[in-house]
Amino acid sequence: MCLISIKRLSPAAASAVATLLLLSGCGGGGNSTPATTTPTNPTTPTTPVVDHSGLPPISAETPEPGEHLSGGLATTSVTNNDAFSRRPQAVAQDFQLDGFFTSGDHLFRTPHKDIGPLLNTGNCQGCHLNDGKGKVPTSPQQPMTSMFLKIADSNGNPDPVYGGQLQTFAVQSFTTSDPESGLPKHDGSINGDALFGEAYAYVEYETVTGHYSDGQSYQLRRPVYKVKDLSFGPFNLDVRLSARVAPAIFGAGLLGAIPDEHIQALADENDADNNGISGRLSLSTDVLSGEQRIGRFSYKAQNPSVLQQIAAAYRGDIGITNKLFPQEMCTEQQAACLAAAEGESQSGVMLDFSDRELALVEFYNRALAVPKRRGYDSASASWDEPIIHGRRQFIAIGCAGCHVPRHKTATAQGSVLGQLTLTGLEDNPEPLQWLSEQVIYPYTDLLLHDMGGSCQITRETDNGEDCDSGAQCLYVQRCEGLADDLPEGNATGSEWKTPALWGVGLVQTVNPQASFLHDGRAQTLEEAILWHGGEAQSALDRFKQLSQQERKQVLAFLGSL
Amino acid sequence: MKLQSTATLTAALLLALNLTGCGSDGNDGVPGLDGQDGADGSNGVSQFVTTDDVVTTNANIAYAVYSDALITAIDMKAHLQALVDNPSADTFAEAKQAWLDAREPYGQSEVYRFRQGPIDAVKSDGAMGEEGDGPEGRINAWPLGEALIDYVAAVVDGDANPESPANALSSNIIANTTDYPQINKAVLLGLFEHGEDERNVTTGYHAIEFLLWGQDLNQDLSGSGPRDATGGQRPYSDYATTANGNPASCTSGEVAASDEICARRGAYLLAAADLLIEDLSTVVNSWEPNVGAHYKAFVAGGDVSLAKILEGMGRLSFGELAGERINIALTTDSQEDEHSCFSDNTHRDIYLNAKGIQNSYNANYIRVNGEVVEGASIHDLLVVEGYHELANQLRAALERTQAGTAVIDTKAKSGVPFDQLIQQGVNQANVVEVINALIDQTEIIEQAISALGVTTNDLRQDTQEF
Repeated sequence: MCLISIKRLSPAAASAVATLLLLSGCGGGGNSTPATTTPTNPTTPTTPVVDHSGLPPISAETPEPGEHLSGGLATTSVTNNDAFSRRPQAVAQDFQLDGFFTSGDHLFRTPHKDIGPLLNTGNCQGCHLNDGKGKVPTSPQQPMTSMFLKIADSNGNPDPVYGGQLQTFAVQSFTTSDPESGLPKHDGSINGDALFGEAYAYVEYETVTGHYSDGQSYQLRRPVYKVKDLSFGPFNLDVRLSARVAPAIFGAGLLGAIPDEHIQALADENDADNNGISGRLSLSTDVLSGEQRIGRFSYKAQNPSVLQQIAAAYRGDIGITNKLFPQEMCTEQQAACLAAAEGESQSGVMLDFSDRELALVEFYNRALAVPKRRGYDSASASWDEPIIHGRRQFIAIGCAGCHVPRHKTATAQGSVLGQLTLTGLEDNPEPLQWLSEQVIYPYTDLLLHDMGGSCQITRETDNGEDCDSGAQCLYVQRCEGLADDLPEGNATGSEWKTPALWGVGLVQTVNPQASFLHDGRAQTLEEAILWHGGEAQSALDRFKQLSQQERKQVLAFLGSL
Repeated sequence: MKLQSTATLTAALLLALNLTGCGSDGNDGVPGLDGQDGADGSNGVSQFVTTDDVVTTNANIAYAVYSDALITAIDMKAHLQALVDNPSADTFAEAKQAWLDAREPYGQSEVYRFRQGPIDAVKSDGAMGEEGDGPEGRINAWPLGEALIDYVAAVVDGDANPESPANALSSNIIANTTDYPQINKAVLLGLFEHGEDERNVTTGYHAIEFLLWGQDLNQDLSGSGPRDATGGQRPYSDYATTANGNPASCTSGEVAASDEICARRGAYLLAAADLLIEDLSTVVNSWEPNVGAHYKAFVAGGDVSLAKILEGMGRLSFGELAGERINIALTTDSQEDEHSCFSDNTHRDIYLNAKGIQNSYNANYIRVNGEVVEGASIHDLLVVEGYHELANQLRAALERTQAGTAVIDTKAKSGVPFDQLIQQGVNQANVVEVINALIDQTEIIEQAISALGVTTNDLRQDTQEF
């Protein structure tokens, strides 16, 4: 947001503003000497004009040299349906790194022993289809397989019976030839003698219409989430639900290597710069060190590291216990789950996943490359015109206030699990050079923003009549706007982390069934823009005031990311 | 073997000459302090080998090894046709043998992966595209979620399912007469990686392998019992139809099935073989000497092409073979992670992949018909450039690996296949030895890359790979 303020002003004024902003704690993350006094002559800059990364601000008019390499050295030139599955050239050319990547990839996509007992899918790629986004089932009859519902009470605490997320399947869906055998059954596991998935969630859509300033109308799909077949009895009385589709995962290593202070420099909790955007740091606990760290990963930025993100997903989504999360997902109330866990080959204190396997998958996730931009001709170093115009609009209407285009990474430290070798882990992990000191273009500030809206959960039958119990009595969630009403960490029920936009133009190349936003409600990037609200309302209003041609340019720009 | 020992002798001689006769004079044409330069040896190693020579030989071997893969695939198709026309114990055994024979050259070709070559990047129309556009996945993808193709057991030592149950078909392709009334190449291609699911492998060697062997259900055929020394036990009656003279005999494993199912299974087998032949033809054409697009670009590529050869060797050694194909299978002790899990032919995959790396270094390939394709080698180049010791180290490292893979190969042939070997624990000495040998050889390949001063494309040059 500081960046944008600067860009809209003349260079001289921008310098002055930048100086002020630096002093007020916004921007200037690269400057290690904090200013201590108010300058007597604010029109004379005493520090160079720099953005939160310590780099000269980007131009709204002219793309930077190297902007087509969104991930710096961790960019791939592949832009086909494999675009999200590639290793950077720097990894491919180093045989050791190449080998860790290949092994991590194999673990990422193949089933593991001791999955479950309750789970959403049997391996990582079961959700991250082709390493890209998951998909929303096309009918209520299809169970959710690459998305799920988080569950909590009104304070964000896990449900005492169901825990923090609804696992749709029990393990027999994956270990036998009958995928339906582990689907939820109403009260099916309540006696503790049979295990079924926790609950069956599905989505139906209502159509919302609106129109642009030029009169052109549009339609959006507003989701209504319904939950039935609760195998372990009713939810807590003040239940909150939040639908989440698995995101694409490439570029995570780069996002993890952005220095804390650069993100802190962008935070503006009280909107001191008065631009209507008040990005807030997500603070989360590093489960290995116990320290509070800046959250960067997951839709509400609840995980501070790639390692914690994947370890949480292995345990929560697949049922693979590991060093970070050694307890099976079963709650104390789920006797059938606890009994099944005892029957795993690695039960009790034995972990399902070794540290080495976890480190290989961590490496793979950190290393997955960002696809290069399309629409750039390297021979002439020029961009397609609509992309240049769209980029200008994107910045001018304020999108870049949260979707901050550029960051610079610091040294990307090796895994806290140790230095990988092919057959083990050793001490003194080496930094990952190709992720370090890279200028990257992820289009996110990694901060929490209030996106507006609110939700209501009711009990009703399939045809909409009120009810309060029984197999036919559904939990139904309806929301206005993007809110989910489920607080998570220090994120409220209407706050979301700004997601990175790199690669969005290839999401449906990689998985043609994929859609956009946290729950996949937006079928196109245009719909995704139109769902914005809260802090993004003014930017959305400006988008809606653009001409059709200008809107197409914005979409051409997004499509080139 | 004979050729290898000649090479060994050669290197030793050369080394000896240097140590005794020729002074290390910095190659400046001036006699060294130790005395007069020795005369050129007449021992078979060229005293003048260029990068272009090495690159050209490597391309010629590529053509030979892919051609052999094609020839053996065509031969396999004939045997598959014979099986479908007349299923019997004999035609079934011959079809399986033809599959095993076809794997021999293909396994040695895999060193041509991981280097932006045709196998990874050539499109079906013959034009070179991006990495991932090539037919490699259609030819050799694994592990399979075989439940997509044909009947599977209720319990498997491994996993028959796709990555996500959402990507499963309502019934397998062979049984699904409603959605796929005809089984042909288009159906198989259309369902390849169905749902963007990499386990939905409908084509290639391993789909054919599954249709010939069936799932490896271990000793008691329960899918959960102790592993045995054999692969899958599909009966040849799975191909019995009225049309091929076997009325009311069609089976799907243990159970009787309708004629149509066996006919469709046969159609699947032949369609998969046709696709394999087509894809291999595209690769062969691209490598055709003096004509193929990639051949021409590659032999003109100088140091960049030399770097690609070494990159393919290194990446196959470490990441693919030592890492994914051996170490992961060892670590997880899962038949699912075993390359040729239906036929229990993984020992040959390991042996042949390693052999292919050695072929690339020695510039020597023995064709299926016994002819030898050979020429200027990286070994020669290292020697000529003065890296005698390194050349010898790399030769020795590759031989150590071959010795290790030969043990795995021998164990399998004498009753302990790879799926049993990995069951002996994560420290199984024979398997660990091969992993360590491959790690060691990779390090020396890196030294050779450094010594020869070659690198592959730099991302920042942003050049389109050829």
